[in-house]
Amino acid sequence: MKIIHSDVLVIGGGLAGQRVALAAKRRGLEPSILSLVPAKRSHSVAAQGGMQASLANCFKGEGDNEDVHFEDTVRGSDWGCDQRVARMFAHVAPKAIRELAAWGVAWNRVRAGEHEAVINGQRVTLTEREDAHGLITARDFGGTRKWRTCYTSDGTGHAMLYTVSDRVIAEAIPVHERQEALALIHDGHRCHGAVVRDLITGELSAHLARATVIATGGYGRIWGISTNALINEGMGAALALETGVARLGNMEAVQFHPTAILPTGILVTEGCRGDGGVLRDVDGHRFMPDYEPEKKDLASRDVVSRRMAEHMRAGKGVKSPYGEHLWLDITQLGAAHIDRNLREVKDICRYFLGIDPAKDFIPVRPTQHYSMGGVRTDYRGESQWLSGLFSCGEAACWDMHGFNRLGGNSVAETVVAGMLVGEYVADFCQSRHGDQEISTALAREFVQREQRGLEKIIANPGHENAVDLRRRMEQIMTDKVGLFRNGPDLESAVAELAELLARSGEVGVNGGLDANPELVLAYRLPRMLKVALTVAMGALNRTESRGAHFREDYPARNDRDWLNRTLACWREGDALPRLDYEELDVLRMELPPGFRGYGAKNIIDHPDTAPRQAEVDEMRAAKLDRYAVQSYLMSFKHLLPLKYRGRNERLDEPLP
Amino acid sequence: MNIPDSFLPPRIDRWPARLDLLQSASGLILGLFMWLHMLFVSSILLGNHAMWTVARFFEGYFFFGYPLPWLVSAFVALIFALFATHAWLALRKFPTHWRQHMAYMRHMRAMRHEDTFLWFVQVLTGFAMFFLAPVHLYLMMAHPELIGPYESADRVWSGRMWPLYLVLLFLVELHGGVGLYRLAVKWGDFKDAIAARRKLKRLKWGLTVFFLVLGLATLAAYVKIGMEHAPHVGERYQPAAFLLPSSKDFSDAGSGGGGLNPPQPPFDKGGSRRVEGMS
Amino acid sequence: MTASRTLTFHVFRHNPRDSGGEPGVREYQVEETPGMTLFIALTRIREEHDPGLSFDFVCRAGVCGSCAMLINGRPGLACRTLTSELPGTISLFPLPGFELIADLSVNTGKWMRAMSERLQAWVHLGSEVNPNQIEAAMDPDLAEAVYELDRCIECGCCVAACGTALMRPDFVGAVGMNKLARFRLDPRDDRSDAEYYQLIGDDSGIFGCMSLLGCQDVCPKELSLQTQIAFMRRAMARQGL
Ligand SMILES: Cc1cc2nc3c(=O)[nH]c(=O)nc-3n(C[C@H](O)[C@H](O)[C@H](O)COP(=O)(O)OP(=O)(O)OC[C@H]3O[C@@H](n4cnc5c(N)ncnc54)[C@H](O)[C@@H]3O)c2cc1C
Ligand code: HEM
Repeated sequence: MKIIHSDVLVIGGGLAGQRVALAAKRRGLEPSILSLVPAKRSHSVAAQGGMQASLANCFKGEGDNEDVHFEDTVRGSDWGCDQRVARMFAHVAPKAIRELAAWGVAWNRVRAGEHEAVINGQRVTLTEREDAHGLITARDFGGTRKWRTCYTSDGTGHAMLYTVSDRVIAEAIPVHERQEALALIHDGHRCHGAVVRDLITGELSAHLARATVIATGGYGRIWGISTNALINEGMGAALALETGVARLGNMEAVQFHPTAILPTGILVTEGCRGDGGVLRDVDGHRFMPDYEPEKKDLASRDVVSRRMAEHMRAGKGVKSPYGEHLWLDITQLGAAHIDRNLREVKDICRYFLGIDPAKDFIPVRPTQHYSMGGVRTDYRGESQWLSGLFSCGEAACWDMHGFNRLGGNSVAETVVAGMLVGEYVADFCQSRHGDQEISTALAREFVQREQRGLEKIIANPGHENAVDLRRRMEQIMTDKVGLFRNGPDLESAVAELAELLARSGEVGVNGGLDANPELVLAYRLPRMLKVALTVAMGALNRTESRGAHFREDYPARNDRDWLNRTLACWREGDALPRLDYEELDVLRMELPPGFRGYGAKNIIDHPDTAPRQAEVDEMRAAKLDRYAVQSYLMSFKHLLPLKYRGRNERLDEPLP
Repeated sequence: MNIPDSFLPPRIDRWPARLDLLQSASGLILGLFMWLHMLFVSSILLGNHAMWTVARFFEGYFFFGYPLPWLVSAFVALIFALFATHAWLALRKFPTHWRQHMAYMRHMRAMRHEDTFLWFVQVLTGFAMFFLAPVHLYLMMAHPELIGPYESADRVWSGRMWPLYLVLLFLVELHGGVGLYRLAVKWGDFKDAIAARRKLKRLKWGLTVFFLVLGLATLAAYVKIGMEHAPHVGERYQPAAFLLPSSKDFSDAGSGGGGLNPPQPPFDKGGSRRVEGMS
Repeated sequence: MTASRTLTFHVFRHNPRDSGGEPGVREYQVEETPGMTLFIALTRIREEHDPGLSFDFVCRAGVCGSCAMLINGRPGLACRTLTSELPGTISLFPLPGFELIADLSVNTGKWMRAMSERLQAWVHLGSEVNPNQIEAAMDPDLAEAVYELDRCIECGCCVAACGTALMRPDFVGAVGMNKLARFRLDPRDDRSDAEYYQLIGDDSGIFGCMSLLGCQDVCPKELSLQTQIAFMRRAMARQGL
């Protein structure tokens, strides 16, 4: 049995994983990274629109700061997030983007003087100030009060991932590509690494480490149609779930993006609407202002997606062989703007639709996009139930997104969490807790278990067809655990998924144990089904509507009973996951629950909300300096690693 | 400090850059020269006298008042050197192993890509020139004085050089044309590279066709003259309208005959100097 | 709409770790559907005919660079190639120039990492910045120009389309030269031309390029490879003077 040692085993070579590894390396540790695919092909590469950070450089961003970013994030989450984490995030995001700027990301820059923009369907002229010339600019995104989303054309994720990957290469961190973590090695209290399968040779090995980090991205591919990469199958969530001790948080919180094209679900960025594009219906009518007069097409994603679905239900959709859709119209932005700032969108339209977005409308519909839920961790990124297991990025429920993530906050999270969790991982490794004390017998036991599992699949006579089971799972998730949810559908989804899970054990495979795609599907399928079941169960239990989780039978946001986080754990031998809940403490919130301002107000208040609001109002009325107010209401700086506690400089806020 | 030099890290090796420049420069000079050469040679189409004038021009006749054929020899030697240098540098690029050759062939067939194909044309034509061009070059070096309408025509026809020239014509024009195009895309700084390349490609083919047509016409002209002149092979051209330095010397002309390059006294300034021909 | 076609695929099949196995081509028939891409077609083949067929798709949206293969002899991204643009018979082969994993899957990642290490393809920072401070200003046009070169997705098409690279496996390819052009343009990288010369100033680098321009003609991102290579060649040649 091959055993590979490192200090930090990072499972996942996306933005989050690589940034964690860099942090560890810079603290003198030896990290190593695993990835299903070459690291630069991780799905972070597909992020188009941008990264949020309150730099306040551009005209429409002036006056922005951590406070505004924090509040937008909390509102966006429908108060489901951990506000301390959101605070840490908003504080570090400007540092993260500046670090990336120094490392080589070619952020688009402010051009002093006048320029044209399309706002709310109207051409307007904006004037950028002289002293901001050459600083990082930003575009508008949904659910934000300032233009805060920094970008490199519409290839932001690409530019970021390549820069971070290049640093990983520069700092000689090994990336084990085409290596899949199959199981975590642990003793019920402490995680020691993972059993890893080489996707080329099929060989299993044990990777042992002081700390193990799950940074495997989202689980969008349990839905039939998703904007996610094909490799986003939730294997990270499954890794944690299968330990039987670590827990997943808020798995039912799943975002549907308003604008993915038909039929394949490829995303066209929110930047299209941020830059002035609008949604239109079958009659060419711009319908979003009818539903959301204030934020219109740039309401929060969950809201726009639901409004679109509603509008299609009202018979205003455009019929097509692939089902109904609506139009995204960016023609008024002009060819020059599209060529410069929406190039990927143009390419996608050209190659997949055969249209020119400067002239034609783009057929779009809401499509599964982002997994707010994931491996539940504390603010340090460590699982509260399995010491030495960390997680960050989309795979984690660090919980800055709650029940809905704002566009541009995710790539920002990956690097910010990478920076912070990386420091905590290093702290852990360098502390007494980080000592590695594992017997190779335990490692052998885990490797052998996986080996037997694979051999069993190969030996299976094969009564079941993996492709059919998978298609069925995807269909169930799309039909019953989608944008609109209700009790009966969710109940039948849970029942059916459980049955599929039982049947998935009967899948048989031709061919051998090495590079064999059939085998890969066969062993991933039960894991995917487990993840799907935690999502469906979470959604079934949560009898309220919050953010992206919308129950037709419980349309109100119920803070009184549901201001909490779902935790799921799957004990070995159980047929279903167990759920329990972690309360969010209103009395410690900097921004007590309120109305997001979309549609009609439909909230059942938490009893603590009013008293806390009164406290907050009083504090704000004192007109103290914003840092003082903030620290009084909810101190968080002490949670940050020392090196990231400093204030952020802005043109209007020089460093003291 | 007295650390021996050899312990210091090597300074950057400038030679790869120089060799690359040299390869391109030699190709450029050769390519441009071959076009000019074609234009000079084609003067035969304007008549024997025109060609004769051009040939004498290069011997410095119109500068010095008398021909200095060694000027031509020297120039040919220079071209020969350039040619050798260029060929030697180009050898570095040749598929020298069978595996490389196969890889290229397979690739070329699969890709069906013009510029990839054209490089192979360059290799083939270059390789062929390796053997064929020296024949011509040597002749010119050895007998610079025997460049003239009849002299050349005799060589072409009676000397049976036309098949070689016909092949060389294609080799040179294809190779040089592609080469000059390649030089442009290799070094050129264009605003719109795609458009520029398209134009260059058109220009390249245009010029190649032009020079091939010109070359064929020229060769045909020499063949024709050579056939007509076959009975007097070896007889040199004597420009009628020209006041020659010594008509007496010239009265000997044409007396030899028979061979390809009969011993012929070239122009002579006042009989003070003779250049020996081949005998 | 024209009557739907039945497409015939000739797909390379070989697993180099399978000791007995000989490389071969298998034929599959697939009914064409509207908007069908090679991704959709290959997925259908795997699901309906040959579950063991190996290929690599990740983003399936033309941005991650995983699915480059020879499509009727030419390198291209399979995920965004519409079958409607191809004849009824389609041959699919793995990208040449890279280690074969199995069937249509090749190890571009390994090649690219080795190239990056060899060319030190990252921004060489003078010193680390203080991230609390306002970022250094950069000319907006320059930033856009850098991004323009940064758009390479390391798919390997340029290498597979390059006769030079196929003859000489140590050749850095357009991807490598474009990367150095990108870093040279970037004011944050403080390397001098002499340092770049150390990396590509020889026949496995910039001077090995024979300007066949297959790279320029197949690059899925339509990068200005011809311009970048010429630019680097001029800069590096100056070092020889
Ligand atoms: C189309 C699209 C556009 C987006 N646009 C934006 C945007 O504009 N702004 C924004 O903020 N966010 C955007 N997002 C979201 C954002 O891109 C992602 O949430 C984020 O990049 C996730 O990064 P990550 O590092 O967590 O995971 P990923 O980048 O998905 O990386 C996951 C890594 O884990 C590896 N892995 C997975 N399982 C295993 C295993 N079992 N063993 C070993 N390795 C494994 C994979 O190989 C991969 O390297 C977008 C998302 C999509 C789908
Ligand atoms: C023995 C004779 C010759 C051989 C073997 C030869 C071979 C080659 C080869 C292989 C190339 C391609 C080099 C590369 O891709 O980098 C080349 C380029 C070139 N050749 Fe020749 N050649 C010969 C003679 C000539 C002649 C007579 C001319 C003039 C017409 C010429 C003009 C050129 C030009 C202009 C180039 C482009 C130079 C460059 O790419 O840098 N060559 N030659």
